[in-house]
Amino acid sequence: MFTNVKRTITVTINGRRYEEDVEPRQLLPHFLREQIGLTGTHVGCVIGECGACTILLDGKLVKSCLLFAVQANGKEIVTIEGLAKNGALHPVQEAFVEKYGFQCGYCTPGMVMAAHALLQQNADPSEEDIRRALAGNLCMCTGYAQIIESVKEAAKKLHAQPHD
Amino acid sequence: MTEKYIGTSTRSKEGPRHATGRGHFTDDIVLPGMLQAMILRSPHAHARIAGADASAALELPGVAAALIPSDVVAYSRPFKPGRYAAGLRKPIPEYATAVDKVRYMGEPVAAVAARDRGTAEDALDLISIDYDALPAVVETADAMKPGSALLYEELESNIAWKGSLTYGDIDGAFKAADKIVKENLKIHRYSSTPLEPFAIIASYDAASRKLTVWVNAQVPEVIYDALREALELEDIRVIIPDIGGGFGQKIHLIRKYVVIVSLLAIRSGRPVKWIEDRSEHMMAAGHSCAQEFDVEAAVKTDGTVLGLRFKEIDDVGGSTSTLTIHFTNKLNNLANTYKVQNIALEGWSVLTNKCPVIPNRGIGKPGMCYIWERIMDRIAEELRLSPIDVRKINLIRPEQMPYTTPSGNVYDSGDYPSLLATAVEKIGYDKLIEEQKRARERGRLLGFSVVIGVEPGGRNAARDMAIFPEMKESPGSGGVNGATIKLERNGTIALYLGSPNCGQSHETTTSQVAADVLDIPPDKISISTPFDSDLAPWGVSAANSGNNFHLYDIGAVHGAATKLREKIFTVAAHVLGADAAQLKIEGGAVHAPGSPVKKLTLADLGKIVYGNQAMLPKGVEAGLQATYYYTFPHAEPNMVPGADRKVRAQFTFSAAAHAAVVEVDRETGKVRVLRYLIVGDNGTVIHPNVVNGQIYGSAAHGISVALGEGFVYNSEGQLLTLTLTDYGKSSTEETPKVEIIHRPSPSPFTTLGQKAAGEGAAIPSPAAIASAVENALKPLGVKIRDLPLSPERVWNLIREARR
Amino acid sequence: MIPAGFEYFTPTSLPEALELLSNYKDDVKILAGGQSLVPLMKLRLAKPRYVIDLSGVGDLNYIREAGGAIYIGTLATHSDIEHSELILRHCPLLAQTAATIADVQVRNRGTLGGSLAHADPAGDMPAAILALDAEMKASGPSGERWIKAEDFFVGFLTSALEPDEILTEIKVPQLRGGKSVYLKAAQRASGFAVVGVAVRLRLAGNGNCDDIAIGLTGVTDKAYRAKTAEDELKGKRLDDEAIERAAQRVMDRIDPLEDINGSKEYRAHLAQVYTARALRAALAQK
Repeated sequence: MFTNVKRTITVTINGRRYEEDVEPRQLLPHFLREQIGLTGTHVGCVIGECGACTILLDGKLVKSCLLFAVQANGKEIVTIEGLAKNGALHPVQEAFVEKYGFQCGYCTPGMVMAAHALLQQNADPSEEDIRRALAGNLCMCTGYAQIIESVKEAAKKLHAQPHD
Repeated sequence: MTEKYIGTSTRSKEGPRHATGRGHFTDDIVLPGMLQAMILRSPHAHARIAGADASAALELPGVAAALIPSDVVAYSRPFKPGRYAAGLRKPIPEYATAVDKVRYMGEPVAAVAARDRGTAEDALDLISIDYDALPAVVETADAMKPGSALLYEELESNIAWKGSLTYGDIDGAFKAADKIVKENLKIHRYSSTPLEPFAIIASYDAASRKLTVWVNAQVPEVIYDALREALELEDIRVIIPDIGGGFGQKIHLIRKYVVIVSLLAIRSGRPVKWIEDRSEHMMAAGHSCAQEFDVEAAVKTDGTVLGLRFKEIDDVGGSTSTLTIHFTNKLNNLANTYKVQNIALEGWSVLTNKCPVIPNRGIGKPGMCYIWERIMDRIAEELRLSPIDVRKINLIRPEQMPYTTPSGNVYDSGDYPSLLATAVEKIGYDKLIEEQKRARERGRLLGFSVVIGVEPGGRNAARDMAIFPEMKESPGSGGVNGATIKLERNGTIALYLGSPNCGQSHETTTSQVAADVLDIPPDKISISTPFDSDLAPWGVSAANSGNNFHLYDIGAVHGAATKLREKIFTVAAHVLGADAAQLKIEGGAVHAPGSPVKKLTLADLGKIVYGNQAMLPKGVEAGLQATYYYTFPHAEPNMVPGADRKVRAQFTFSAAAHAAVVEVDRETGKVRVLRYLIVGDNGTVIHPNVVNGQIYGSAAHGISVALGEGFVYNSEGQLLTLTLTDYGKSSTEETPKVEIIHRPSPSPFTTLGQKAAGEGAAIPSPAAIASAVENALKPLGVKIRDLPLSPERVWNLIREARR
Repeated sequence: MIPAGFEYFTPTSLPEALELLSNYKDDVKILAGGQSLVPLMKLRLAKPRYVIDLSGVGDLNYIREAGGAIYIGTLATHSDIEHSELILRHCPLLAQTAATIADVQVRNRGTLGGSLAHADPAGDMPAAILALDAEMKASGPSGERWIKAEDFFVGFLTSALEPDEILTEIKVPQLRGGKSVYLKAAQRASGFAVVGVAVRLRLAGNGNCDDIAIGLTGVTDKAYRAKTAEDELKGKRLDDEAIERAAQRVMDRIDPLEDINGSKEYRAHLAQVYTARALRAALAQK
């Protein structure tokens, strides 16, 4: 079908430039997972409710499942795989590990990305700020308690040792 | 054994991979030549399948295989009615897809495999199914009416099962009562909606007739048996990668899809992947059972409950394969925390054109706790007693432990009066009474409650024989699961668990236990993942269900590590010329007492046992590996029910008192949870952060269920809640903060005194919320009987009370 | 959840976009932020053969002040609006409403123009746009026209835009000395408006109501202005009695929606409750 003719896009992902052919209907998370091999971006819903696929697009937090891959043309993406440097966990990731801000791990990449985006804008969030910032990310396991503690801990870590 | 690590929150083993996006889920796996499958589902709640044709789909470029009902009948066998279908009065064959009729919206009917997901989804539009629509039977009350459309004509009724069971002298209790307190209660359909939907890959090697499946199933046994029964294959390998949440949801119905995907792999000759989408999960992956209870309590004027009698009507949906699970599970917490001696229960399982029911976070147990805790409030109200005092007078006392309940459960340990008293004190019950008075004067509807419940753990399938004495074959009894531990030749420790992990930190917790047994830090222990049925020492309890992990896996790891330690000492004693009984492991080496030089590093030991026969003691097996299969050593008495039908439904009993403070918006009916406090006894806490996580999560779910999450069908049997939004899943903004206080009573029966923590807080929390909301609405005379307490329902209750 | 196939266009100018739209208008969708369109396409409830992505068209994302009004480019996101100094100063109602939409991810992608053109009966922005007396610029093959907010929302998922028109700009008059608030009964999971009420009012020197606008969303098949309720309040002292009387009128000639989030009766009741609450909250502002 002519409607599925592939287009070439250029996109920077975690600092690396890719030139890839995609069908217009290909969703961004499937592109990241299946074509680029970055499987940390998860898919948990259809209409953008769960947030497991959350990434940074040109520095802004978005749900990748509500974008077609073609819309990422010319843009810069950071996925969960882009946070740790040389195996050293990003302070936000470290805080999630220490405070048990996860159980099954499926929502975790999206949660970490949302927490990271929050702390970039608000270094000292209140519990209410945290709850508001994570409202687009569902977790079925934790009841959010330890996730919220993880974000508080991450803020402390970032105060002590700012990270890019 | 030293307890250096047990009881502390050691660093997570699973955390780093999940926090960095390196978790290993089924959808992350890619096999060469792999196809993608999509499933066609029934748009009807009830219809006869008059014909099916997939030829147009097969002509679409990129489509490799298709299945329609006639293919499923030709190439597979129906599942055998299993334990979950106990009570079924005629054998009803159930295939992986619908074959003659569809009985719920979303029931799988056909499937395709194609080169990519988009093509597969395009192909679904090209499969034609001819349906003759039948009247949908949606409500149990309608389903039970004579003349109602039948889901299964061969059963001649939609009432697929009826049964009853009595413990003690129930008639005597009701005759001796000062008062009979009655209530009608309902719990709705919900689910735990794990964030990762079903995910399956099947790969078939036709030459050797070996089928390998990767699947996020909670119970390998179910998948193993399903494939053997449906495909008549012997050589089956079940690999279970990281599971993105289970909660019971991934135990049963997932077997259908494993068979469908395997059939596509066999037919196409290529590996096939299927990833369920969210709406499919909502409509067809299974719901908890809507349960209706007619409850009667025989009470004395001081509040003592002499007897409890209830009739339960279960809306089991459009399949007979899980006919009685919500009823049989009532035996697990039948007496809750109370010393009542006389209990009678009667169950009806009614078929409707809705999604089949499945095990879900406690199965029938939240319902049983709801019965008890609602009737306790009603007793208090009718006798003009404090609801706390009514509970108190009926609680089993700590000095009665271990305590045998009338149905034969043996409660291992616990101080229920202290849990209740602590909750009353910490929530500030007396102050709340004052605060409520002031709030009411200002027109505010403030309410609070304290409820209590048990959380059973462990497994005993023989329980079902108490309810179905006609059972010819025992469905098994007790539980078994294993663990293998190995000293590697470099001195590190490898651990192979007998069950998969769906978020309970199996790797972290078992490494703590092995670390303490072996005196080795947990970071030197590597846990082998994923679960692989070809390698894992798994038994019937290899399951994320029934709170099995704490009992069987911990017991097995402890047993295997203990065996390994003995072997290490035997070999080291020989090498060092020391007395094995005197040896110690410290700093990665085995030491003989009193001598700084008499030591052997574990790495050196590894080299010897795998490569230096001359240094091994005579008659000792080479290698350092131990496997241990654990069975609960205190499973008697009542493991198998006798004529008295007394049976141990589960083996350990955690307990918790829950206290809730809520405020109801009088104008909108919206309930806000102001405080939620849990005082819990989970026995010895191996890892505080892990146990707390389980409690927070299950409490949040139970509260969300009470306040609005749930499935809604219209009168045609169409499911209206196909997304997490419509279903009403709580986000960070709706989920209240939960406070946890631990008051552990270690179990005298388990390896470390540990008890269960998993389903836990989902069991009493619906009752706690219902009780607090009723308390808030007391000035209006509102009674809370049905869940969920969505704003509109509460608003309606307030309006009706005013009329 | 893979959409049906489509052809994808990224025009780089408005004339080019309008030409594509004219060519394919029978089977085309305009893609702005995509937060409503992409889900519909994934569910295959929308199967457009052609999709025109506006992101390449220059100068559609701005917030500017000119001649006593704020002009907002159609691609300004909810986040842009939530944090815009200009909007916070001159029409805070819009910023406050934007901040209540869904979640941060959706606000970062979702656009004002997209949400208005989508005309979702439960959208938050339409209520605010109505209360602010905003105007929408429709660009078409024969030029531009301005559509008043009151005329813009026509019915369920239907705006006053013609099939060959694109909503390119939103004009919000600067209104001084006013108080405003947006309140909603939020759906428990996603926070969308089961019922949402936007109120803007100004008091005269004597404390009586000088100007009032009430926009409602979520109640019926389209967002609307509650004119008879406003009439109850104009020139009056806004005491409890007046507020209650006005709240009773917001359902005049309105047939409420009914779905799993609320029956007709409950929605009508919520509309009244939230109107009263929004009026009181606005009055309480300094």
